[in-house]
Amino acid sequence: MVENRPWLNVLTHCVLVLGVIIVALPVYLAFIASTHGPTEFLQGIVPLLPGPHLLENYGEVLTQGMTTSGAPPLLNMLANSTLMALIIVVGKISISIISAYAIVYFRFPLRTLAFWVIFITLMLPVEVRIIPTFKVVADLGMLNSYAGLTIPLIASATATFLFRQFFLTVPDELMEAARVDGAGPLKFFRDILLPLSRTNIAALSVILFIYGWIQYLWPLLVTTDPKYYTIVMGIKRMATVADSDPKWNLVMAAVVLAMIPPVFVVIAMQRLFVKGLVETEK
Amino acid sequence: MATIDLVDVRKTYPGGAEVIHGLDLAIADGELLVLVGPSGCGKSTLLRMIAGLETVTGGTIAIGERPVNKVEPADRDIAMVFQNYALYPHMSVRGNLEYGLKNRNTPRDVIDARVAEAAEMLEITPFLDRKPRQLSGGQRQRVAMGRALVRQPKAFLFDEPLSNLDAKLRGQMRIEIKRLQRALKTTSVYVTHDQMEAMTLADRLVVMNSGRIEQVGTPIELYERPATVFVAGFIGSPPMNFIELGAFPSDVQSSLSRQATGADLVGVRPETIVFESPDSDAIRLECQIELIEPVGAESHVHVRWNEQRLVVECRGHPGFSEGQTQAFYLNPSALHFFDQASGQASRAAS
Repeated sequence: MVENRPWLNVLTHCVLVLGVIIVALPVYLAFIASTHGPTEFLQGIVPLLPGPHLLENYGEVLTQGMTTSGAPPLLNMLANSTLMALIIVVGKISISIISAYAIVYFRFPLRTLAFWVIFITLMLPVEVRIIPTFKVVADLGMLNSYAGLTIPLIASATATFLFRQFFLTVPDELMEAARVDGAGPLKFFRDILLPLSRTNIAALSVILFIYGWIQYLWPLLVTTDPKYYTIVMGIKRMATVADSDPKWNLVMAAVVLAMIPPVFVVIAMQRLFVKGLVETEK
Repeated sequence: MATIDLVDVRKTYPGGAEVIHGLDLAIADGELLVLVGPSGCGKSTLLRMIAGLETVTGGTIAIGERPVNKVEPADRDIAMVFQNYALYPHMSVRGNLEYGLKNRNTPRDVIDARVAEAAEMLEITPFLDRKPRQLSGGQRQRVAMGRALVRQPKAFLFDEPLSNLDAKLRGQMRIEIKRLQRALKTTSVYVTHDQMEAMTLADRLVVMNSGRIEQVGTPIELYERPATVFVAGFIGSPPMNFIELGAFPSDVQSSLSRQATGADLVGVRPETIVFESPDSDAIRLECQIELIEPVGAESHVHVRWNEQRLVVECRGHPGFSEGQTQAFYLNPSALHFFDQASGQASRAAS
């Protein structure tokens, strides 16, 4: 629809600018806050211009953490979060693409039942089954380990379901052509299905990375050793301190640092998204 | 190079529906055999059974005298061309051509030579490094054929390969397929629902109807001596006219039943009906002209004779006007006779 009405242009721009402000202003304030000294906030006035303590604040949270609230150095927590998110991405995608392949391309007894059982787990995210899951993880001795942090989050149906839907759109003739061409099930999967799923995998990776990164409740439960703290739960620890005011400047520095990896992942993968949209023809 | 033999082949789906009812067919070495029939007649299923993509639930299929009922498609040494091409979208044209050979651990120099040869033959050499989506429909069709060609299989199986192309391209590709098949002399089975395509391509033609073979023969045999009402109505365009014997005046009836005893249905090819200077024993029909379709070299005249609708194919433009009454003549020696109850042709009594 090509219309040229000046007042409509003004209106749309206003709405867009408003939207950007609503999203961007808190981020901006967090950044500003992270550049000031510890005393600025106690007056109750939020400064709007950057202060002089940028390097100092970031240096402190990255290397020392916040000893008063028992938060380990941020570098360690960032590494933990990254590792956790990556394990979730790789684990979830590899398990779900294989199970979707089995469900779509093979005829085995109770195939439909298997699919529905997987599908039903969509109704049971970690938060719903958190007590029994914790019990299982604890009994298996996986508290305070990367396995305990990630395995319960890997087991979920969303990705399986998405891959199944994608595989169903791949024409049967491709599989038949591959069979005639002498490709067995594994070869077909590797040579044809996997390359075709490339853009789907990229899109899911982004979503799952962010899903893994923002996990809060689960890491809070299964980790008591600061060695395994993740950044999102770390922020919460920094903000709650006993017997003194929280050091907001340091908390905000941690917040800004916690935002960077997801943003980076989205920007890096955006190219593949767009490519995926262009390469729709099968 | 191989024969393909089907003996009492049956296909029953798990639900119990039998779609191929005990079918025998011997395909000679180097022959181009066309399976033709209306949609749902089982022709594609039969082809897919030969390819190994559908299981055979009864009888045997042998390729080159080796029974292949339990053999995987890849090990049957056949190549198939699919209706929607089924090219691997993420591979280049070269990748598509090579894939089957690579899977068979063919040496690199053989692969390169065969790909080059096939690409040359199909005139797709300039596109070898493009992706399928960058090609037009006709070019994709060529690549799909190239993929079959490079394998140098015992048999080619074509599953309606031209039905996604526009009419003009279809005509060109049809000629090309025939030329290619003649040059390579590879046994080929070709499935189509288009009787024109079937007639022009086939060495031998198999007309199928609801899971059974109606008739097997050369295109001209099927056209001139259809064995059943179904074949008579299916082969030829515009289709054969059918007139019940009882619709003719009694003197005509008796003279016709002398030609073929027991027949109660008369078939008339539209092109054998004439409107000028007949010889004396021609049957005269006083018809009303309903509609004229000019097709260039000829015209299809739709007429009504009593309650019967007929199509007449006239050369050129006879200058009739719609609504006028006109006498047409049937040549008794060009008629076909059928028994309605059995659907079989009645042979001439002589």
